[in-house]
Amino acid sequence: MRTTLSPILASLANVFRIPLSQTASRPAATAALSRFNGSSNESSKKSTTAAAMSSTRQFSTTSALSKRKGGYQRPDRRITMIRYFLHHPLTPRPLRFSRNRFLRHWTIHRAWHLFQAQQRRAHHLELERQWHAMRAACEELRTGAGDGGKLFRKSMIKTGIFKDLFPIEYGRLQTESPSSEGWNHDWKRMK
Amino acid sequence: MAHCERASKPLLQCLQKTYTKGLPGLQLQSTRAFQTTALAREEVQTETKSQPFYRAPDPELVTNPRLERQLLRQGVAPVGSRRRRAALSDSLNIPFEQLPYQCFQEARKVLLADREEKLRDITSMREKIARLEALTTEQAGGEQVKKSKLRAMELHLDYLKVQADINDPLVKRKFEDGQGDMSKPIYRFLADRKWREYRRKVLVQRITQMKVVPDVVQSCDPTLDTKLYFGRRQIQPGEFVDSKASTEAPKLDVQMFEGGEKLVTIAVVDSDVPNVEKDSFDYKMHYLAVNVPISAVNTKVDLGQLPTDSQVVLPWVPPVAQKGSPYHRLSLLIFEQKESQSLDFAAIKAKEKRRENLHCRTLQDRYHLKPIGAFLFRTQWDDSMYEVMKSIGYPDAEMELRRKRAERLPYKRRNPANMR
Repeated sequence: MRTTLSPILASLANVFRIPLSQTASRPAATAALSRFNGSSNESSKKSTTAAAMSSTRQFSTTSALSKRKGGYQRPDRRITMIRYFLHHPLTPRPLRFSRNRFLRHWTIHRAWHLFQAQQRRAHHLELERQWHAMRAACEELRTGAGDGGKLFRKSMIKTGIFKDLFPIEYGRLQTESPSSEGWNHDWKRMK
Repeated sequence: MAHCERASKPLLQCLQKTYTKGLPGLQLQSTRAFQTTALAREEVQTETKSQPFYRAPDPELVTNPRLERQLLRQGVAPVGSRRRRAALSDSLNIPFEQLPYQCFQEARKVLLADREEKLRDITSMREKIARLEALTTEQAGGEQVKKSKLRAMELHLDYLKVQADINDPLVKRKFEDGQGDMSKPIYRFLADRKWREYRRKVLVQRITQMKVVPDVVQSCDPTLDTKLYFGRRQIQPGEFVDSKASTEAPKLDVQMFEGGEKLVTIAVVDSDVPNVEKDSFDYKMHYLAVNVPISAVNTKVDLGQLPTDSQVVLPWVPPVAQKGSPYHRLSLLIFEQKESQSLDFAAIKAKEKRRENLHCRTLQDRYHLKPIGAFLFRTQWDDSMYEVMKSIGYPDAEMELRRKRAERLPYKRRNPANMR
């Protein structure tokens, strides 16, 4: 059953307690699990006893049940799954940076988020300014036009809106800028 | 640009090698890789005047084993590995904030501009606070209004102080190296955040699971990072401590995350002293000290070394657990004294003489104390416990506690008809 893998991979598999598999591609998870949880697997048995030996700390994470019975308990399915997929050769390796490079990365990350927050805030303030300007204009129309607010009231009447015709701007989702392709003149309604 | 740099790298390294070994301090000025030629020429000239490298080897840069041995004989250990030192002596040794990466430099510009803005906010907020403080109570609109306004403004000022520095990579690096200056708000903030991520959670879990919180004090919201050492060994919260180790009073490392100084009361209570007559458990105060000053930079408190004439009310008594008794919880509590006022030591010393059944709640009520830090360790019967009991003259050292055997219940049929 044992395959001839490279010694590095074999030692890695030993470290992460992955039994060596025949297939290079990732098999179905159920098959992997059944292979993992088979109690006849002597390597996993050895590794769990070693783990039990090494856990002499007072506040161990061993569940009470598995400690009491003393014998071999099959490891948690979830842990098996995580280990399997995390250390599978098809999983891309994690990003590992040197310290300086990580700090540069972090700096750029913080600056980018700060910049975005500043942009969001500026946008929000601009919207607020526009809203207040519109409100002030309406107020001016109501009080300063000299007609007792008649024009304002007329303009605020909403009857008949969206009844006869639907405004074309609302026919599609509003965007900040026109589309990159421009107007599609060849578009025809579907039959 | 990249090709150009790559092509010139070996050349630059050659140039670099000629002078890095002599004067590493001078390299800090060379920020741009393409200016090194002139600088190198200058420094070669200066080097002739100064000592050669083998006369005064730099422990940061030395790679020659003979020179390393020479340094070691002088009592100076070379820094890091030889590979690291060799790499450093080859490198341009540009300071981190001047590293020539375009995106990084642009990011730094954004962060620096933000910092400038924050500093301006801080000065304006300080002026605002000063203006409000200058107002009389009537002008400010009442005592309560003025107080709450000032409080809110000070909180915002603290927030701004932290925000001004939180994006600085050098601050982050310094904190990660453990070289942060705890007198500065940013390092206190980072330390507090790190403590709350894991260590505080563990502590709170232990003191709630082992029922220190309802048994000894009503409630406790720890705001101090407490570490406890017996001898040189650090104790984890809730750990069993060997009885021989706990004969001496422990040392504390109390990290405060606020500015200023506080006066605290420190108490160690055993809440599991078996009382056979009552068939229950009693309390015993193992240690009590008042008016202990702590601050963010002054963290070490040695309970055995505190002055007995002004702070220690009840000196340390080693915790003991009789054979057969369940484990004893020894809870250490740090109380904040009200408004950091010092308590009257002589009066307390005269009043609190009995260790037995001196409850923390009583102390809290009497002296207006508020728990701000807690710690817990346990003790149980072990091999050296008998000797410890003998040495402190514990009366019932030979006694072994046994559980009373429960009487058997009368026989009952397992599966009577009415249960079917």
